[in-house]
Amino acid sequence: MQHNPTVFLIDDDTDDQEIFGLAIEKTNVKADCVYANDGIQALEKLNGDESFLPDYIFIDMNMPRMNGQQCLSEIKKIERLKDVPVFMYSTSADPECISENIQLGAEDFIVKPSSISELTIILKRILQEPLLAMMFLMLFLGFSPQRLQAQSELPPVNELKKLSMDELINIVVTSVSKTPENLTEVASAIQVITNNDIKRSAATRLPEALRLTPNLQVAQSGSHDWGISARGFNGAPVASSSLADKLLVMIDGRTVYTPLFGGVYWDVQNVMLEDVDRIEVVSGPGGTLWGSNAVNGVVNVITKSAKESQGLYLTGTIGNYIQDLVGIRYGGQIDSSLFYRLYGQRFDYGETQLPDGNDAGDAWSMTQGGFRVDFLPSSKNTFTLQGEVYGGEEDETFPTEINGQNLLSRWTHSFTETSALSVQAYFDRTKREISNNPFTDELTTADLDIQHQITIKSHHLLYGAGYRVQDDFTTSDDNRFTPAQRTLQQLSAFIQDQIEIVPDRVTVTLGSKFLNNDYTGFEIQPSLRAAWTPDKIHTLWGAVSRAVRTPSRFDVDLTSFQGIDRPDFRSEEVIAYEIGYRMRPFDRVSFSLATFYNQYDDLRSLNTTEGPDPTFYFANDLKANTYGFEISGNILVYEWWRLRGGFTYLIKDFTLKSDNVVDGGELIEGIDPKGQFILHSIIDLTKNFQFDVLARYIDNLPALPITQTPEVDSYITLNARLAYELNKVMFSIAGQNLLEKSNTEFGRLQIPRSVYAKIAIRI
Amino acid sequence: MGIIFLLYSSSLKAQTFSASEYQIKAVFIYNFSHFVEWPASSFEKSYSPFVIGILGNNPFGPYLQEAIRNERIGSHIMEVRQFNNVREANNCHILYINLQDPEEIKQTLLAVSGRPILTVGDSPNFLRFGGLVRFFTEESKIRLEINNTVAKSRKLQISSKLLRVATVQ
Repeated sequence: MQHNPTVFLIDDDTDDQEIFGLAIEKTNVKADCVYANDGIQALEKLNGDESFLPDYIFIDMNMPRMNGQQCLSEIKKIERLKDVPVFMYSTSADPECISENIQLGAEDFIVKPSSISELTIILKRILQEPLLAMMFLMLFLGFSPQRLQAQSELPPVNELKKLSMDELINIVVTSVSKTPENLTEVASAIQVITNNDIKRSAATRLPEALRLTPNLQVAQSGSHDWGISARGFNGAPVASSSLADKLLVMIDGRTVYTPLFGGVYWDVQNVMLEDVDRIEVVSGPGGTLWGSNAVNGVVNVITKSAKESQGLYLTGTIGNYIQDLVGIRYGGQIDSSLFYRLYGQRFDYGETQLPDGNDAGDAWSMTQGGFRVDFLPSSKNTFTLQGEVYGGEEDETFPTEINGQNLLSRWTHSFTETSALSVQAYFDRTKREISNNPFTDELTTADLDIQHQITIKSHHLLYGAGYRVQDDFTTSDDNRFTPAQRTLQQLSAFIQDQIEIVPDRVTVTLGSKFLNNDYTGFEIQPSLRAAWTPDKIHTLWGAVSRAVRTPSRFDVDLTSFQGIDRPDFRSEEVIAYEIGYRMRPFDRVSFSLATFYNQYDDLRSLNTTEGPDPTFYFANDLKANTYGFEISGNILVYEWWRLRGGFTYLIKDFTLKSDNVVDGGELIEGIDPKGQFILHSIIDLTKNFQFDVLARYIDNLPALPITQTPEVDSYITLNARLAYELNKVMFSIAGQNLLEKSNTEFGRLQIPRSVYAKIAIRI
Repeated sequence: MGIIFLLYSSSLKAQTFSASEYQIKAVFIYNFSHFVEWPASSFEKSYSPFVIGILGNNPFGPYLQEAIRNERIGSHIMEVRQFNNVREANNCHILYINLQDPEEIKQTLLAVSGRPILTVGDSPNFLRFGGLVRFFTEESKIRLEINNTVAKSRKLQISSKLLRVATVQ
């Protein structure tokens, strides 16, 4: 329910007051009317009762004791009323007088109409009903939301009253943060997947949860393999992964892309979805703050603190494709400042199908356990220690054993309210061993990051430094990598200054990241971002940034390239131009548009040597321009029905810089749909029943003859979930890929329709 | 790199549902009236109002008024009153203390200590000074700290549902 707006009319004519009240009644907007007989009385009321906060103020121009204009300028001096729209109300409209009042901060000037019905029309327009919000987004046809500014952007108190205590303590508050909001995020194409979004979907694993955001392309290429990218460049599917290498993926601050090929082994990136707080997905370069590889986007998975995941949680799933999943988590408290959680989960997934209908032999399983400890000795210090151990097996086609461990600790200390230091260190080891075509890869990472943020007047400074050392050791019968082992060191630093040019209105952020790596030496990744927030409803932002993808071992160390006379592989580079617009016209509607134009240079190309017996090698002989847009929205249609979704569109245009580039080889770098559309519908059927649907439309993908990857037709697919939740127990049945018996998304394997039943118990 | 703060700085603009600090606090205070039981003696008559008092500036804007509008606790109409000094606060049920000076907070809490009043505040030492419920902020969320021992001594029964979401001393 929308809260009833309060309308405050200041008018000396009691007849006019009455007419006004009748007109308000006729608008069918349930508004509370409060009257004052003149400016003095109005100011007495406004100054005397601080809890009186009208949503709209109407002032008659001609009043005794204090005229309307004086009254307006006095009201505008009251801090708590500065965002309340004030309408001047008069029998005559003198243009000069109008402009004077507008300058004084009046929202608009209304000429007292001759009839109640005319006044009703005017008032109706001002006090628009919230459901128009939905129509507005649906139509998005030049309807001016200007009159609706008075709609607070916050949810009404009445809605909050319906929440349980557990829900209340988990609402993120907007005004609490003493530290500045991160402009890099405000002025960027960020989408957030919340814990509830995941819960209200059929997702069983992290990559499936990433399907819930419209600004990522998420394509499954095998039972455990995925290609995930933003703004294109979803590289060709390969065994155990894809060559998508322009996305930085972090889980609780731990970077998980591999220096072997710059991509992510999604099979070993598992989290207990129940304990994920949110996933932030930024499309576009995150160059300034984030590390290398954040060329096209950043995925930041953030799990709940131990304090937020207390109690026992048990879950079990059984189905045809996800054959079983069992999970247990226990969160406890040692004393008032020391919290912990322990968890374990195990799952088995079935196999996908080959184009001829035979099983692809890629069933797999994984067992994982972990812990997190949060120590909060005071409001100035927090310590976190968390770690994980996992092991799994993948079947037949590439019989693989995977295992790994990681441990992360973090200390944050606030010196003052405007100055804070954070130190983070982690260790990560991950190993995979393929036995039929012997190949092993063991990667060990140690990483230390320090950063400090401080606010000095209108400058919010954030700077830091980091050191990462990675040891990557491969073995194979056919010596695929030369050298077989590499120790890579990376030193980085960054500085960012977020400047409030006009407080709460215009912010500019300048920053750069500096990186020293073993392949290409020193790299600089600057960015300039600006955001303009004319009011609570609109944000317009723009950014220019440079980002690089530093070489991976796949680019440099492949044995078959050795001995070829070729230039050193350089970093891939992008200069990205972005303009975006974010709007929240009503409590229930948010909308965002991001447009981009990216100029890539030195992209990886597949080249051949000249002569009778050509061999292949990688060079930096591709250029590309891409452009497109991302639209996303979130609408609370009714209390019981929420819609979220979006559309992305991408055009890529490659230029070959050398005759040696293999024709069509640029497709290795990106097999992307032009357009994609997702719609997530979240419905509370009754108090206990939930019905949720995720529909996706993906444009066709071109064929890649070099790797025998066929064209993939455009498709529409549907996931659905029906759940019954009673106190501490939730039963659900869910299905993925429901429209087809099986469906090819990426590469040639067919992903089967998946149906499962799940129970979750929280004690 | 750079991630550490990002983990902590919440990307609020992008989040779908969030609320202002004092909206949430207002709703909490409204909820307290349901999750705490006051002794019958705290109401003079069966139709006496249930009073939420504010001592110090009212930081809630209209939110507290909105939260209790048309609400009742049994036969008691709920109302919000603004107090100028602690002597006026003797007959309220919930007292939100919005004072800055720690000494003043201490004195105020001492002054109402004999009465079944649920004292609520934000200052760091609020519970140490004898206050019953303290709001604090953690990871951009409003959390509660409750001194249940003292609450019991004031004959206030706090429901386990409320204690469960709070840090209890």
